[in-house]
Amino acid sequence: MRSLWQLIFRYHVFLLFLVLQGVAIALLVRSNSFHHNSWLSSSNRVTGALYARRAEVSEYLRLQSINEELARENALLKSERPAAFLKLSDNMYLHDDTVHLRRYEYSTAKVINNSINRPKNYLTIDRGSRNGIGVGMGVVNNGAVVGIVKDVSEHFAVVMPLINTGFRLSVKLSRTNAFGSLEWDGGDPTLIRMNDVPRYANPLKGDTVVTTGYSAYYPEGILVGTVESYRIPEGENFYEIDLRLATEYYRLSYVEVIRNLLSKEQRELENSVANNDD
Amino acid sequence: MIDALRHIGRIVFFVVVQGLILNRMDLWQGYILPALYIYGILMLPITTPRVVLLLVGFATGIFMDMFTNTGGLHTSACLLLAFFQPLVLRVLSPREGYETGQRPTVMDLGWGWFFAFAGSLTFLHHLWLFFMEQLRFTPFFSTMGKVLLSAATTVVLMIISQYLGYSGKDRRNI
Repeated sequence: MRSLWQLIFRYHVFLLFLVLQGVAIALLVRSNSFHHNSWLSSSNRVTGALYARRAEVSEYLRLQSINEELARENALLKSERPAAFLKLSDNMYLHDDTVHLRRYEYSTAKVINNSINRPKNYLTIDRGSRNGIGVGMGVVNNGAVVGIVKDVSEHFAVVMPLINTGFRLSVKLSRTNAFGSLEWDGGDPTLIRMNDVPRYANPLKGDTVVTTGYSAYYPEGILVGTVESYRIPEGENFYEIDLRLATEYYRLSYVEVIRNLLSKEQRELENSVANNDD
Repeated sequence: MIDALRHIGRIVFFVVVQGLILNRMDLWQGYILPALYIYGILMLPITTPRVVLLLVGFATGIFMDMFTNTGGLHTSACLLLAFFQPLVLRVLSPREGYETGQRPTVMDLGWGWFFAFAGSLTFLHHLWLFFMEQLRFTPFFSTMGKVLLSAATTVVLMIISQYLGYSGKDRRNI
């Protein structure tokens, strides 16, 4: 026993190093999982507040491009107002509220931190659980997919964008309805790879790729990007397609968070079926 | 006591600079990613006990990880740095040993010494950081290029910070 204590005392520095290193690597491995709630992220009070302060400053420098973006969106919304339409028929239409059930709800948030040059990039936004944001909600900007909420605190949330090597999403070519899965390789933040697209997909340069609506995160048909190049690797039966992302991550300023009001019902039903099969 | 506060203040300052400014800079399309925040650890007194050094490295890394959402990535790299720092100091010690009050800076120990000290430790830290981040060895040469260029940039930034924070009168520096 005495010699054991002597041994520990002699190598206490190395042992402390090993213990702390073990903690660090455990944290690292845990953070690689898709969903996790942790105090060790920029949604926490200290770093979240610092990021919010910096965003206030840097926002002034980008006001011009933000204005342009908002003006574009305003024009789009104005052209959809009832006043913008000429009435061609006097027929009456009745909308009964029991026919339409609200499924998706949108709320806006400001991006206060954004990284694009890492393999695992994240965004921090200035809305949290107090504003109804929850883990697993989809995030879009100007009608194009940005990412998924990964972690929330009271006032902030961390979003995992498409340009994160841990992100997976099933998408389809809108022209031929062929499915594929998205995976980012950690390089160029303007391109993403679409894998496992069957031969009959027949992609063309410039084709749009949209969400499928199979997942509970996004409505169907939200833009992801356009086809940049495609090829079938030798000896394979599936296309590899490079997409140009519709979201420009390096100039992201405002985003919309989508809440799927029926996702709980969908998931419960799917789980109950899966459980019955076991 | 005041000395300890100054050391803690320096570490916090450089981590915040790293999180708010350096991580946002897009040098050469994101290929060069300097990690200046370790400067605060390198500037700890030469006589710092090893256990204290490890704990400071751990805390610095956790703080940095909070900024970048990287779990324990920076913590792990900082621990490695904090573990090897005394060993490098011992290898590089002058024949008569370090004088009391001598600091690990260009001004006190010269250019050659500082390049060897900061260069080797920064390289080690960046090597661990970038390869742990990838968690695979496939793009070896591209990652290695990133490590070398980023480490060189970090050392240059360290020397600039050293001269910016140096005031000749009381030989104290940030």
